[in-house]
Amino acid sequence: MHPQRTRREKPIINMPTIKNRKIAAAILTLLFLIFHQGISAAESLDDRVNEIAHLLMCPVCQGQSVAESNSNLAQDMRQIIRKQLEEGKSKEEVITYFVNRYGETILASPPPKGVNWLLWVLPGLAIIFGGLGIGIYLYKSQSGKGSGDSGKRPENRAADSDYMLKIDEELKRHES
Amino acid sequence: MSILNTGTKIGVLVIIFLVLALLGYALFGDRETVKTSPLVGKDAPEFTLKLFDGKRVSLSELKGKTVLLNFWASWCMPCRQEAPALEQSWLKYKDKNVVFIGINVWDETRSASSYIEKFGGGYPQGIDPEEEIQVDYGIGGVPETYFIGPSGIITDKYDGPLTEEIIDYYVNRAAGQERDASSTN
Repeated sequence: MHPQRTRREKPIINMPTIKNRKIAAAILTLLFLIFHQGISAAESLDDRVNEIAHLLMCPVCQGQSVAESNSNLAQDMRQIIRKQLEEGKSKEEVITYFVNRYGETILASPPPKGVNWLLWVLPGLAIIFGGLGIGIYLYKSQSGKGSGDSGKRPENRAADSDYMLKIDEELKRHES
Repeated sequence: MSILNTGTKIGVLVIIFLVLALLGYALFGDRETVKTSPLVGKDAPEFTLKLFDGKRVSLSELKGKTVLLNFWASWCMPCRQEAPALEQSWLKYKDKNVVFIGINVWDETRSASSYIEKFGGGYPQGIDPEEEIQVDYGIGGVPETYFIGPSGIITDKYDGPLTEEIIDYYVNRAAGQERDASSTN
């Protein structure tokens, strides 16, 4: 009796539980997906606003980007970036909107054209020619080292001693 | 006796030449006209203002008129400085198809209202409820003033306090709708 009763009870208790679990799991998965989607969408919008705000300089601040500044204008600009992204505008469209109003000086990285070429080219040239200059200087100072003879070739040493002899002779002649 | 050998001399000359060439290109290569605002010569961005007297005004309603658009704030000292000139010029131009509009930005309504009471401004004064107009017009500070011709094209932008002479000059330019005009300020 007892085993039969347990056998009967098992399906009565477990069947709906399994069903319920499946349904609950499906609902939870669905809720998770919806919730996660919402959060990641919100995060990505914040990230995109922040990314664009970092690419624009605050027009009324000293060396601060729109993302870094707390000025009224920077706050307005961040608000407009958010609104335009929500309207479906691309990053380039949003940046163009600001360039059309404030000019290219608003860009944190000015495009390489006109005077801006100097900003892009001069650091490279400075590194190349600075490196060359340092290299030449080091080379010369190395080869000039040990004029006390140890690093010199025998023929140079001989020339030096001839030269020293000539100086001695000149000095003696001058003294006499 | 020369300190530098021939190779080094050539190197130095090449560097000098390159730097001079870059400077020359930078200074003379880009012949784009310098303007105070990239908006000069373009259609003025549309806006709708909520005026302090409760009415509303849109730029599109003012088509066919010369418009002076003055951005100001109650805490701005140069704005107080230019206020009498704006008032006098408005009285002079109000019957000559010229509209003056004051746009209050980055301010508190109460302070702005008492500013208007104190410094006059018989012409329409308002705010943009969306707080976008200042960015739409590329405003970086106050006072800044735009001059818009009868066909809706921005002819000039002036940064700083206005005088009656300056207003006369730019209003006449805008009324003449000099499309290629660029600001001298």
